[in-house]
Amino acid sequence: MSFTIILCYLSLLLFLGVFAGRLLKKSSGDFFLASRGIGPFMLLMSVFGTTMTAFALIGSTGKTFEFGIGVYGLMASWSGIIHAAIFFLIGAKVWALGKKHGYVTQLSYFRDRYQSDGLVLLLFPLVVCFVILYLLIGVIGAGRFIEGVTPETFSRSEATATAPLAMAPADLKIHPDWKARMSVKDGKLSVTGSLHPKRKGLFMGFSKAPEWKKAVGALMAVDKKTKKANYESGAVPKWAGMAIVCLVVLFYVFFGGMRATAWANTMQTIVFMVMGLIAFYVITDALGGPKAASEKLLANEAKNSVMARESLIGTWQFLTYCFIPLSVGMFPHLFQHWLTAKKASNFKLTVVAHPICILITWVPCVLLGMWAFGILPDGTNPNAVLGMMVSRYSGEVLAGLIGAGVLAAIMSSMDSQFLCLSSLFTNDIVSHHFGKNAISDEKKILLGRGFVVLIVLVCYLIGLSNTQSVFDLGVWCFTGFAGLFPILVAALYWKRSNKQGAIAGVLTLAVLETAGYLLSLSVHEGEFLILGMMPVAFIVTITTAVMVIVTLLTPPPSDELVEKFFPAKN
Amino acid sequence: MITQSSFNSSAATDSRETTVRILVICLILLLAILHQDWWWWEAKEPLVFGFMPIGLAWHAGISLAAGLVGLVAVMFCWPDHLDDEEEEEAVAKTGKEEAS
Repeated sequence: MSFTIILCYLSLLLFLGVFAGRLLKKSSGDFFLASRGIGPFMLLMSVFGTTMTAFALIGSTGKTFEFGIGVYGLMASWSGIIHAAIFFLIGAKVWALGKKHGYVTQLSYFRDRYQSDGLVLLLFPLVVCFVILYLLIGVIGAGRFIEGVTPETFSRSEATATAPLAMAPADLKIHPDWKARMSVKDGKLSVTGSLHPKRKGLFMGFSKAPEWKKAVGALMAVDKKTKKANYESGAVPKWAGMAIVCLVVLFYVFFGGMRATAWANTMQTIVFMVMGLIAFYVITDALGGPKAASEKLLANEAKNSVMARESLIGTWQFLTYCFIPLSVGMFPHLFQHWLTAKKASNFKLTVVAHPICILITWVPCVLLGMWAFGILPDGTNPNAVLGMMVSRYSGEVLAGLIGAGVLAAIMSSMDSQFLCLSSLFTNDIVSHHFGKNAISDEKKILLGRGFVVLIVLVCYLIGLSNTQSVFDLGVWCFTGFAGLFPILVAALYWKRSNKQGAIAGVLTLAVLETAGYLLSLSVHEGEFLILGMMPVAFIVTITTAVMVIVTLLTPPPSDELVEKFFPAKN
Repeated sequence: MITQSSFNSSAATDSRETTVRILVICLILLLAILHQDWWWWEAKEPLVFGFMPIGLAWHAGISLAAGLVGLVAVMFCWPDHLDDEEEEEAVAKTGKEEAS
């Protein structure tokens, strides 16, 4: 049932792609920037959907389960303040410059502002690498998620799970539904067909004998080393889930470009916000209402630590986490979304409503994670918390709808990232090196589409390989983008800033990022911190210092360049 | 032609805008300080609305306040000239096309 609902939702996205494709004008400006015609509401939804990933639903619940309610202050309320300030101070200004000088990508702005191809050649691999890592988190996450929410979708009648059972217990009463599939003979407990791990509780209830519990435990065991289960879950495999999501996103980005991306983002943002609220309502209702759930947890001395921050989050970690949301300012895919606005004043709604949207999405999930800590056993996989609460307190239909919501959150970031990488290749590498007028608009669209296909394929193939190390590395892409943020601020607000300073800043970031990642490999448990602080705090500070010092030690930019980007007011 | 009264009025508007801008920056800094709420660090109670631990309710309030500061910022210190410049360029472009 869950898989059917997810498939229906994905079909809706395909339809949207076809519809947007029909409206596509045959110009690269329309393909990459939707002819700079996006209104305030769609801009808000695109920007919010792009900045929120599956983490907003699954991660927020899981992290609260692990680190308590402080997760909201750490990740959500800092983002509310800093993202809004960035949209106000950076977004609108970038939009005006983009409109005036015809920029399509972030790198085209940097090239023009600093008159340096070298800077772009340095930034290009870094930015592409960070975006691909970010993308991979989404692609792999989608595959894993679909696998997790579609158990027993395919009935594998030939599959048999067995476990040793010395003798049949005297009180054994197998539920009638399972009599046809379960057998106890020849010192073995066998079950044929697909099995969901949650059946364990049901099977345990068939007998009170300890040998029976042991046999059921062995039947549903998962090898800790190989992570292979003794049973066939009948779920959609990870490779297939990844392929489905990649193909759907590829389809609507390929045919509809930025217009389809903006429409899809708007729809997907509404879907994941609404689904999060529905899950909250249904689960809260099953728990006897929010007051009863919180009071019960508060009364549980052994579990109520998640209702505060003491011993779960450090004060310096809490403070220095503010550097992470700066990454949003340097996301190239968000930069491109800013350029799609019809007017600068369209940013007003985003500035005001973005923190409120964060509140609406995060508070219910944080509360669910908090209550789950009092309900689920210790050692539960944090990423499985939302799924377990949904399956425990609701039916399959809601599980399917929540599944669609989580995929919506993942895809609303992926589509922008695919399109952005395609724009960077087409505009900053091919078009720039062959000359702006050497390639016709139609060929640019063709190239853009070709690159989208190539990037999707590359991401899919990497996603199939060593996934855990990709995930560990992916966390560092936010630090990397945050480390580049001072260079953008300097470009926009500091007349004296020059290419030498910017290049020095980028090189420093690259060295510090690599060193930070290598150091983090030595930490096997918990968050990697330096003196109790987030590493990004040091990286941003040192990068800024190097950029400023080198800028002041080298010649200022020409008057002509300063006049172009900082025209004197009449 | 710039008259003395229009010059005075423009200067007054500039001065008010600067004051509001400083106010908005101060409000953002205040939010950042209030965000570091060590006074609620160990508190689980009171439960706001009967279910939300005070530490979580405080930060939900910070998000609401961020929206309100954003509202003040866009109402009183929005760079309107960005859209004005755009309109001026569009008018100039249309004028040129008509002339040719």
